[in-house]
Amino acid sequence: MADLKALSDSIIKGDQKTAVDITKAALDEGMAPETILADGLIAGMNIIGTRFKANEVYIPEVLISARAMKMAMEILEPKLAEAGVEPVGTAMIGTVQGDLHDIGKNLVVMMLKGAGFKVTDIGVDVASDIFVEKAKECGAQVIGLSALLTTTMPAMEKAIQAIKDAGLSTKTMIGGAPVTQAYADKIGADGYAADAASAVDLAKSLLN
Amino acid sequence: MTGKERVKKAFRSEVVDRVPWVPFVGCHAGALLGVSAEKFLKSEKLIVEGVSKAVELYRPDGIPVAFDLQIEAEALGCDLVWAEENPPAVVKHPLMNGTALEDFRIPNAEDGRIGLVLRAARTLRSEHPDIALYGLITGPFTLALHLLGTDIFMKMFDDTTYVHKLLAFCKDVCVAMSRYYIEAGCDVIAMVDPMTSQIGPDQFTQFVTPYVTELFESIRTQDALSSFFVCGHAQQNIAVMAECKCDNISIDENIPLDYVRDECEKHGISYGGNLQLTSVLLLGEPIDAQKNAIACMETAGDKGFILAPGCDLPYATPQANLTAITEIVHDEYKRQVAAQVACERSDEDRLDLEEYGKADKVIVDIITLDSEACAPCQYMVDAVKRVTPEFQGIVEWREHKIKYRESLVFMTSLMVRNIPTICIDGEIVFVSRIPPKDELIAAIQKRINEKFRLRIQQRKASIYVLDSGCHKTDAMEENLKTAIRELGVDINVEKITDPEVIQSYGIATSQTPAIVVAKYQVKSLRRLPEVVAIKEWLKDLQ
Repeated sequence: MADLKALSDSIIKGDQKTAVDITKAALDEGMAPETILADGLIAGMNIIGTRFKANEVYIPEVLISARAMKMAMEILEPKLAEAGVEPVGTAMIGTVQGDLHDIGKNLVVMMLKGAGFKVTDIGVDVASDIFVEKAKECGAQVIGLSALLTTTMPAMEKAIQAIKDAGLSTKTMIGGAPVTQAYADKIGADGYAADAASAVDLAKSLLN
Repeated sequence: MTGKERVKKAFRSEVVDRVPWVPFVGCHAGALLGVSAEKFLKSEKLIVEGVSKAVELYRPDGIPVAFDLQIEAEALGCDLVWAEENPPAVVKHPLMNGTALEDFRIPNAEDGRIGLVLRAARTLRSEHPDIALYGLITGPFTLALHLLGTDIFMKMFDDTTYVHKLLAFCKDVCVAMSRYYIEAGCDVIAMVDPMTSQIGPDQFTQFVTPYVTELFESIRTQDALSSFFVCGHAQQNIAVMAECKCDNISIDENIPLDYVRDECEKHGISYGGNLQLTSVLLLGEPIDAQKNAIACMETAGDKGFILAPGCDLPYATPQANLTAITEIVHDEYKRQVAAQVACERSDEDRLDLEEYGKADKVIVDIITLDSEACAPCQYMVDAVKRVTPEFQGIVEWREHKIKYRESLVFMTSLMVRNIPTICIDGEIVFVSRIPPKDELIAAIQKRINEKFRLRIQQRKASIYVLDSGCHKTDAMEENLKTAIRELGVDINVEKITDPEVIQSYGIATSQTPAIVVAKYQVKSLRRLPEVVAIKEWLKDLQ
């Protein structure tokens, strides 16, 4: 029988070949896709997330884990859809207008995907009205806004205001080097996360 | 000791006369000149003007020529997007867009903006011979990220040979750039490698250590000093950074300064930075900037530390926040004052002194650090001491030494920000300036006149007719009213018949009818006066 512990380990190591092989084998054996997702892939990403928060691993390690997860997901996703498995939640992420930085944003995207979210990445330098438009399109339950520059922080406030003005019930969360919880409170964001792993915890808690 | 000497001594961890101050002025100098970051960073003339302006305003011991980590990337063919208030950002990574690593060559001293920056460095060198000039170069790891993009993180697992080749090339660029800057007259080469904060110590040792160690070695052989700048959450790498044989490590507020101090001292190198860029320097008040600087200086002690912001100063950093730091760096006495003020500043402690200074006597408060220990404070106290006897008891003075907590509370309650300050009846009158005798007398006299006028205006009186039912009372009241009318004065006549109230005047009912006159003054309306204010009124009544 396919070993889901070995699958989760392959995700932790970022070993994409093994991750894909075990996923395929498990499906061939008739294992439920949601079990493979939860006990293999997400279990592995959770461990990576915890280690990242504890400064035991760093961005490169997270990136290769996320890549292994992504490769396995490509095989698993159609089966999940067939089985009617719903994602944990729907999230949308973008870097705000005037800001071109995307390392942090990309990491949050990967971590959220790794946690079982359906994620729409709307890229960098995103204007407030695009946040609103895209959120409507993808039905985001939670929107993440990223900024690296002190000068683009005000664009977060604008985007959050636009989301509220549009009457969307979507939750908002912010992150990025200059951003703080105090700033999140000031501009009326629903939450602030200091790193990508915390962003996953935050997104989950905002949906509850 | 010149700024340059001071920086050099600090780099060698020798004791210095005071902390060297190196504001990392980059595009902020554009703001000083009123031009955009783009205009500023593209013009030799503006860089010279802007940095000179910063030197004049902030009186630094050292300063960077140009804080822009995209200069090398641009010369190597990265596309940049420019901004009004930020350095440019790399948007296209050549190695992801068809360029091969073999196609790159080391930029020469005229490629891209390198030429204009080096010419600016030469001019600044000759105009400011006593200041330590910092030549900033992009560290190999960050430059590699500019060239390849974030794919480098995956390639660090998938293709280590390629990543090593790329980093070796980037190191060669660093060596060339540092040589250009040293030849242009720079004293310190600051290698800025912020992206190393994204990796852990294992990968740092594998991919960063060998290259930067070689770079620092080459800087040393040219008799220049080296600093390793990092920003972000890079605490995990401080120990391995310190082993790279740089002379100095510069960090931002994300890493505790005491940790960096201990690691650097262990390796016999110096350190610096840590002033909070956003929350304090950009968004805070001058007092916050001073408080932050003092905290850094206290942690660091007297050697091996460079007082500096965590990284490139934001474009819109208020000048006042930086000049506030300049003041305490250059003036030991101002530093002591700021240290005192900084250690206690809670709004809850504030007294409501609206009622203060409404007593008969004029009160002169002198807020000092301590007149026995600080010369300006002493002169100010002496000035007041000499003048008050001329007012023959009408003027009372006292000194508030802010090394005592209650004095500090008093000072903040009166909104006093500078030391020493003279307040007359709770109003700030002389700030940091010892008034000549005549001026001080005039100020006190002015207040006396003001008070006298107020007292006349505020003087009110009542006449109480105490009555226990005697037939004479009506005639008595009538006489009073006639007298008041004929004189045309504003006096209220009131008849009191309650025996208890009558007794409260110390009069027995058998002694009525009686007349009591009372003069009164309204002291406080709709607020709770502080005990210190009430005491002054009570003294008037005795």
